[in-house]
Amino acid sequence: MSRQRLRVFAPIILLMAFALVLAACSDSDDDGTTTSAAAAGETETETEGLIVGVSWNNFNEERWAKTDEPAIIAALDAGGAEYISTDAGSSAEQQLADIENLIAQGADALIILAQDGTAVIPGVQSAIAQGIPVIAYDRLIEDEGAFYITFDNVEVGRMQAREVFKLVPEGNYVFIKGNQADANADFLRGGQQEILQDALDSGAVVNVGESYTDNWAPEVAQTNMEQFLTANNNDVDAVVASNDGMAGGVVAALAAQGLDGVVVVSGQDGDGAALNRVALGTQAVSVWKDARQLGTAAGEAAVALASGTALPSVPGAIVFVTPGGNNMNSILLPPIPITQDNLDVVINAEWITVDDLCQNVPAGTVSVCG
Amino acid sequence: MADTSIAAPEQAPRGRGSDFGDTVRALEIDLRIIGMLVALAVIWVGFNLASGGLFLTARNLWNLSVQTSAVGVMATGMVLVIVTRNIDLSVGSMLGFVGMTMALIQAEVLPDIIGFDHPATWIIAVLAGLILGGILGGFQGWIVAYIGVPSFIVTLGGLLVWRGGAWALASGRTIAPMDSTFQLFGGGSRGSIGASLSWIVGIVACAGIIALLITNRRRKHSYGFPVRPLWAEIVFIAVACGAVLGAVAIANSYAPLDRDLGIANPVLILIAVTIIMTFVATRTKFGRSVFAIGGNPEAAELAGINTRRTVMLVFALMGILVGVGAVITTARLNAAVSGLGTLAELSVIAAAVIGGTSLSGGIGSVPGAVLGALVMQSLVSGMVLIGIDAPLRNIVVGIVLVIAVAINTYYRQRTEQLTA
Amino acid sequence: MTDITGERPPLVELRDMKVSFGGVHAVDAVTVDLYPGEVVALVGGNGAGKSTLIRTLSGAHPADSGEIFIDGEIVDITTPKDAKDLGVETIYQTLALAENIDAPSNMFLGRELTTRWRTLNDSAMEAAARTVMGRLNPKFENFKVAVESLSGGQRQSVAIARAVYFDARILIMDEPVAALGPAETAQVNELIQQLKEEGIGIFLISHELHDVFDLADRISVMLQGKLVGTVNKADVTMDEVLAMIIIGKMPDQVTEVELEELHG
Repeated sequence: MSRQRLRVFAPIILLMAFALVLAACSDSDDDGTTTSAAAAGETETETEGLIVGVSWNNFNEERWAKTDEPAIIAALDAGGAEYISTDAGSSAEQQLADIENLIAQGADALIILAQDGTAVIPGVQSAIAQGIPVIAYDRLIEDEGAFYITFDNVEVGRMQAREVFKLVPEGNYVFIKGNQADANADFLRGGQQEILQDALDSGAVVNVGESYTDNWAPEVAQTNMEQFLTANNNDVDAVVASNDGMAGGVVAALAAQGLDGVVVVSGQDGDGAALNRVALGTQAVSVWKDARQLGTAAGEAAVALASGTALPSVPGAIVFVTPGGNNMNSILLPPIPITQDNLDVVINAEWITVDDLCQNVPAGTVSVCG
Repeated sequence: MADTSIAAPEQAPRGRGSDFGDTVRALEIDLRIIGMLVALAVIWVGFNLASGGLFLTARNLWNLSVQTSAVGVMATGMVLVIVTRNIDLSVGSMLGFVGMTMALIQAEVLPDIIGFDHPATWIIAVLAGLILGGILGGFQGWIVAYIGVPSFIVTLGGLLVWRGGAWALASGRTIAPMDSTFQLFGGGSRGSIGASLSWIVGIVACAGIIALLITNRRRKHSYGFPVRPLWAEIVFIAVACGAVLGAVAIANSYAPLDRDLGIANPVLILIAVTIIMTFVATRTKFGRSVFAIGGNPEAAELAGINTRRTVMLVFALMGILVGVGAVITTARLNAAVSGLGTLAELSVIAAAVIGGTSLSGGIGSVPGAVLGALVMQSLVSGMVLIGIDAPLRNIVVGIVLVIAVAINTYYRQRTEQLTA
Repeated sequence: MTDITGERPPLVELRDMKVSFGGVHAVDAVTVDLYPGEVVALVGGNGAGKSTLIRTLSGAHPADSGEIFIDGEIVDITTPKDAKDLGVETIYQTLALAENIDAPSNMFLGRELTTRWRTLNDSAMEAAARTVMGRLNPKFENFKVAVESLSGGQRQSVAIARAVYFDARILIMDEPVAALGPAETAQVNELIQQLKEEGIGIFLISHELHDVFDLADRISVMLQGKLVGTVNKADVTMDEVLAMIIIGKMPDQVTEVELEELHG
């Protein structure tokens, strides 16, 4: 019996070994091209032949390959720098090794998309100690020596609240928050609260329901919204949902009560289905962060830092006080709130096609859709 | 029919044990189910008081029934998986993968071929989902049964693979909306059968209960076995029919948008699945084999049961039920996201074990699992209703889970002597 | 085929059976037979190969080579079902009962009685169980509890009831009383007598020579996979059988010295 099992396992083991060999080979291919580039770079002058290393946390996520990486590479090309990169495969330990790897390959500046913002700090500090500037990309790394480039998530929350408040200056509000373990969820909620604080204090706006949503899951948001509607006998005027996925669940719950298009809903991400809802009028706003902008800003900042610019002198840098109390030099990119009035922005930026945006939109209601 | 020449055995002597045990045995009640119903009642009344009378409204109960459906459906399959001493951790990821497939079929594949909202669209999508679920489940089951990899590992792999697959299918996009007929499977303002049909369902169910009780009684009598006292049968019928018709009345009294909704479609699906799975588990040779494998796999082999095939089929069945769960969830959300169903396996497993299924195998109850799902969802939805936020909710659910299983374990040890 | 001298063929004959596990001969060219109404005891030390040999007959582990004859006709037994179809029922040392289901369900496991609509007919199975148990263990009452609540002796009777119900002609009992107390052992021994009288042939595996001498008609001794020999109980003493088990020599070949060493 065991011999039979061996026979079955053998090909599986062989396959795995083959895959491992393949993976190792492809890595060394990268090493091949980048080490030669590094070698070439060493013989050139300071402002030319700069090498910027990017440590991805998990390159398999579509967004990084499709949007961020091309933007970074374009910015680096424009600045005359070489691009090398590593993929940590979602492992914090691997990312520390990757950082050392990039330094060994001669990186003059690092862009780090942290798998774990705390676990990566030793690697960051090591790089800085070796005179290599580090950019914390999109995800916070609590270290004053690093440069933080992100979209202003608090501003996203403010924008969501602003658009909703414009349409509903008085009434009952429900807050559908993100995943409780995610710092962003509280950033967003904080921004929303800022805008609505006065109205909440004066009683013009009443908070009739608020909940974190496990995993930002739309179906959980849907169930929670159903309960909030029951609790308030449908007397809800606005829902500040922190992202588009959850906004979808909220709208589904509203639709079951015939309240879709009546109750104002916010979201974030510029999700295709959400933009369609904005066109249809069932969602008031989706705050859009063009990831390409993030890549471009990071690439440009990397070139500047690698050329010797001091952190506070990077164009567009401000001081951002982190939740951990650190003063970090940062670029906080402004997101764009997309409402029915400015849908042309996402069309012109080629973020979404007219067909996808305008699915089921009655003719003549939205100018972009005709 | 059976050999009628078997003489009636001597009158069974009075059993030893307490009078209570005798009564319970004579009435053939499953104390565990009663216990869960009591717990449910306590939870419901408790939340009703805490929410100022909002919990026990037709609206909330109707919503609750829909919210429970997907997990309830999948929990019925999980019972059999756990009974065979296996586990399926991939349920949530498979739901996402199957859901995404069905969504893509409806939103992107079929519209090019037969146009959007074609009458056949929903049929094709649903069938594709069920078949895909069966194949994926069966594949995992094959690896468990025929290659011998422990199910924990196989389904852990599945958890990763199907989730990645769900993402890859649509590059992380949200796919919406669904075909308008397909949407009906999710409940909502159109997804129920209406008042009159609900009454019919209720009456048929009641008639079914009566018929079942009569058939059982007759069969037992024909072999000379003791039957429940007549008054008990009548009380049973009254209680059961009362509950059924009462539930229908509540469902019918919920009328948002001025239309009597009646029983929601997902709930109807849940009820049908529960009945079928209970039947399979308790009244078929297949079900008997499943329990035997869980109790003593070697004994099952020696008895001539094809244990490998049975285990593989159990996983395939789980996959099909995941497909049903995916239909309900995707229809209800009217969209598919790549993260759909994340962590659903935890709710499904929790429902099964709260309902009396033992993780060491051999012991399980399908109706119990559905009740377990209802208990869990009542807790969660009730807490949202009274404004308790997620962190505290998770703590409560975790504690209740452990307490429920502890009670089940205690009950098992104590009542082996009491009940027949 | 009957012997021309008019003797009936044996009920069962296992001829020249060989079973190997990875190069080790667990059963090495063993031939044993069994006549109706007799008990043949299979004895031997640990690892002698008795259980392995008998599992070839019960279908739990097919032999690598050798032939099985039932009523003189050659048969092919590769699965437990094959054996049961031929009237061979086995009571395993571990009883092979599923703890979580009740006695009737265990009795009928794999061969359940069904109703007209192909659903399980639990009432028919319970009734049948009651009838059989009435003969074997009239005091038995717990037909609806899971088998794990039953005592060792009660479980044994369920396992035996299973074999008896299906009209076994050949019964294999592997250490039937090893886990039982004296009263229950006496019960089982009584039952074996009863079955003998009904013409059933029984292969009995036991390490308890006292029980063997009480019940068996013939004794086949195995040592390290080989058959030492088969003797009539009436013709030998326990000592001689012990010598066969430990030294591996037939009674007429063992020396006085060796016999003394056995005791010393």
